[in-house]
Amino acid sequence: MQMDKRERSLLGFASALLGFLFIILVKTQGATASLLPLPDTSVPSLIQTEQENQLLVAENDKIQLEVGKYTQGQSAFTLANQQLLDAKMNAGLVEVFGEGLRITLDDSKRVATEEDDAQLFLIHEQYIRGIFNALWNGGAEAIAVNGHRVTTDTEVFCSGSYIQIGGTRQMPPYVIESIGDANTLKSALSFYYVWFRLGDLQDQNGITRKVEVLSKVVIPAGKLHEYHYAEPFKEGT
Amino acid sequence: MKRWKRSLALPVTMVAIALGFMISLQAQTQKNVSAAEQISAERLTKMKSVLTNSQAKNTELQEEHQVLLEQLDAARKKVGTDPDLLAQIVKLQILDGTQAVQGPGIQISIDDRKSNLPIGTEDLATIINTLKFAEAEAISINGQRIVASTSIVRSGSSIILVNGVPINRSDGIPYELNVIGNQEVLLDYFSKLEAPNLKANGMAVSVTKKVMPIPSYKRAYVFEKAKPLIPQ
Repeated sequence: MQMDKRERSLLGFASALLGFLFIILVKTQGATASLLPLPDTSVPSLIQTEQENQLLVAENDKIQLEVGKYTQGQSAFTLANQQLLDAKMNAGLVEVFGEGLRITLDDSKRVATEEDDAQLFLIHEQYIRGIFNALWNGGAEAIAVNGHRVTTDTEVFCSGSYIQIGGTRQMPPYVIESIGDANTLKSALSFYYVWFRLGDLQDQNGITRKVEVLSKVVIPAGKLHEYHYAEPFKEGT
Repeated sequence: MKRWKRSLALPVTMVAIALGFMISLQAQTQKNVSAAEQISAERLTKMKSVLTNSQAKNTELQEEHQVLLEQLDAARKKVGTDPDLLAQIVKLQILDGTQAVQGPGIQISIDDRKSNLPIGTEDLATIINTLKFAEAEAISINGQRIVASTSIVRSGSSIILVNGVPINRSDGIPYELNVIGNQEVLLDYFSKLEAPNLKANGMAVSVTKKVMPIPSYKRAYVFEKAKPLIPQ
């Protein structure tokens, strides 16, 4: 088909306009995309630095106070002794008491039929660990399981028919006791999937998931292991 | 000159109106985007300056911390604190994590960026548990020291909090664990019990033997409800 002059110029004009629109559109798209990644990258590192700063300020104040005590001539023995007691308390090597929760977990007494998955009738290591995690997150100050204090070194490791906890063999029922604000601890539990999972297993398969609020829970002292590899960090080494 | 065909008049008018509308809309969008770009640039600059300030403050505080520690050390030496007592305190502080440590161990790098199943809090908790089982003496993950009361939880859809601090990295290896202890045992347990699962999920895992420092636990221990059974 032959186009006359006017038609050609109109077509040319329309094409130019379309091209212009297209370029602007691409530019806009690029700009919108570049707006996105900002919050994800800087915010976590900012929170991290800010939190570290707060802690450093608190720590520095503490040391300053201690240096002050030394320079004022307080007995070095008293000071070091106080520090030893604090460290023992922090590390979980002091027997403590206070309000808290007692959680009991037990395997199902029901016999699994051939069609059942027998694993769904037992308490597994990850449930115990999940509960520790929820309790610590809810501000627990001390935790023990079957009378063994949970410290930094404590592992909860499935070894077949028993669960190894802090180097000891533990069998069900697993009684987890914790000290802290009982209401906060209870709501912390219900915040996590593990608690609902255990509830379902209780309803469906008859495992035990029991929680009691106690005004006095006694948690034993943990043990200090010898360190063979870790030594205090020295600047410049 | 040839006359326009009547039948073309209506479609051409409509196309012209549509084009006009698009142009004005585009102009408006362009204006908005320019404004948004400007706001974003301003925000980025502000955020950067806040972050820089915060980091500068951090460096300053770290230096102050170092100076104070030296002063404390000097003050203790001056009054002659029993070295056995101090050694005992240090040992306890390695356990409670408030003492930064160094020693031989392994460094584990986990890259889940190409995995269709990114690493979860339960995976990290399982790895740490296995390392404790292998008698690790100190563990850190992305610089956060693991202590008894460490919780590993998810915040929102993608942020992982360890000790209440986000550990996600914007670039580089996403997860790095430093572990001090018996290198052979740590390597053996991790390679046999944990690495296969991670690799099966498409993650890149590497372990190297190293002598390295592990930072201290930065949160303060607070006891409001727990009291010593035997008064001290």
